[in-house]
Amino acid sequence: MLKATIEADIFRETIDAVSALVNECRLHVDEKGIRTITVDTSNVAMVSLELSASAFLTFAAEPCEIGLDIEKIRSMMSMIGKTDIVSLELDDSGKKLKISFGGYEYSITLLDTKTIRKDPNAPNLNLPATFEVPGAMFYDAIKASGMVSDKISLAVSADTCVFTMNAEGDSDRIKRELAGDDVHYITCADARSLFSLDYLKDMGKSIGRAEKVQIRLGTDHPVQFSFVYAGGKGSVGYLLAPRIEAD
Amino acid sequence: MGVALRPLLAEYKESPGWEGLGGIAAIDAFNALYQFLSGIRQADGAPLMDNEGRTTSHLSGLLFRNANLIEKNITPVYVFDGKPPVFKASTLAKRREVRENAADAWEKALKEGDEESARKFAMASSKVDAYIIDSSKELLSALGIAWIQAPEEGEAQSSFMTQSGDVTYAVSQDYDSLLFGAPDLVRNITVSGKKRIRGKVLSVYPERLRLEAVLAGMRVTQEELIQIALLIGTDYNSGVPGVGPKTAVKIVREGKFYDRIGESENAAEPDQLIGYFMDPPVERSYKIESRPPDPDRVIDLLCGEHGFTQERVEAGLERLGAKKGQATLDSWF
Repeated sequence: MLKATIEADIFRETIDAVSALVNECRLHVDEKGIRTITVDTSNVAMVSLELSASAFLTFAAEPCEIGLDIEKIRSMMSMIGKTDIVSLELDDSGKKLKISFGGYEYSITLLDTKTIRKDPNAPNLNLPATFEVPGAMFYDAIKASGMVSDKISLAVSADTCVFTMNAEGDSDRIKRELAGDDVHYITCADARSLFSLDYLKDMGKSIGRAEKVQIRLGTDHPVQFSFVYAGGKGSVGYLLAPRIEAD
Repeated sequence: MGVALRPLLAEYKESPGWEGLGGIAAIDAFNALYQFLSGIRQADGAPLMDNEGRTTSHLSGLLFRNANLIEKNITPVYVFDGKPPVFKASTLAKRREVRENAADAWEKALKEGDEESARKFAMASSKVDAYIIDSSKELLSALGIAWIQAPEEGEAQSSFMTQSGDVTYAVSQDYDSLLFGAPDLVRNITVSGKKRIRGKVLSVYPERLRLEAVLAGMRVTQEELIQIALLIGTDYNSGVPGVGPKTAVKIVREGKFYDRIGESENAAEPDQLIGYFMDPPVERSYKIESRPPDPDRVIDLLCGEHGFTQERVEAGLERLGAKKGQATLDSWF
């Protein structure tokens, strides 16, 4: 059972954060809120999201699992006005979700949760460098890097405590260094990994809206991003596998 | 081969286009290998061969068809048949006979210089034997492509993996997967884009069948679909003489399946066959692990052992590494 209302903005950010990587997901619903964890079809990136019941204007739920075609919801997002209130209601059979906003009532058929990939276990990673940077600053650097290359290295130097983003294309290069007040270290350690900009651009839109994003980085290891939204009542985590450089 | 459900399924076929097929595909390995063996041939029908006379059509197919799939954002997982169920013996014997006759006919056509017939008979003489299977598994491992050994029917295994959500859809040219309960079946993605039908060359596009839509549209249950198939004939029984797809549906709708199925030659009690389709032996603990290709191993195997030209293999490898160097999270889970 699920019956809830939510501000359009928070609904949009929730859908955007997940649809950046996957077309469908399994949503776990209970009285505390909603959550999902899922890996993209290529097994390269993972997204986890939690939104507390308190982020909703009204929220009544009993524990259940819903198979959501996120892509369908994303494609009707443009219909939702900025200040609309979105109401969500699971029908009694549990097979359809009614999404109402601004005079529209949109009923979507849910996916059979059995046909959605099993929830992945969050891996245990050795990521020595942990720090926070402003989300917008990070996303700007990703967008700029996309102009010269399809990959970017993220690196932390333990000596200087500078966070360096470096994208090298065939002929051009873009480097962005963050230091001083722009980076807040929880642990500063040597780390360097290379990543696909395609994935970072997809994740970057949601990261860019966050006031700050926590980054955990290792060497030739996946990178982990985490940030909050909906006034701290929602949290998003991304995990991205590295590209391994050829010799 | 397989079950002749085609006429009943025509209206449920979707044409997803390649862009709608991104995901993990559980491919019926025997079915795909058979297609490579029968389809990838020289003009006179002889398969591609290395210096020692070993067939290499399947290796060529595995390299280049997989490159195609991976470029289209499809992650293939090959599922190999295990030991056939006992009630498949008669079908297998028949296939062997067809193959042997075709081999004779091929030889005869070659002697007579009839190239078109030679090619046709050569295709029908294709055989997935132990050498083909072992060399395929070896190449897949070197390519970093996952493969899984089924205890019995590969299609049963693919169906189970699709049901459990570990793969996006099952891939086979046969419709048997639907009988094993595959919720999502895709055809024509391991074949080349062209197919010769009665001498004409036609374009072939991916087709998708969703079991839920098929059952709802035909207004039958999974068990009734199996009954319909048994009346028409499957790999495990001959079918009732004179009963085609439409009549079979009628018989099942009228609840007369058990009155008529006795007219078919069945390798086992009908209920036992139904039970096999509903709950076949499958491997439940499997791991789907895709890795980047190991170029040295692939070149060693294809160029070193089987005399492929290095340039061709490198071109294929480059396409396989479309996301070159991109690791997957598997390594850390």
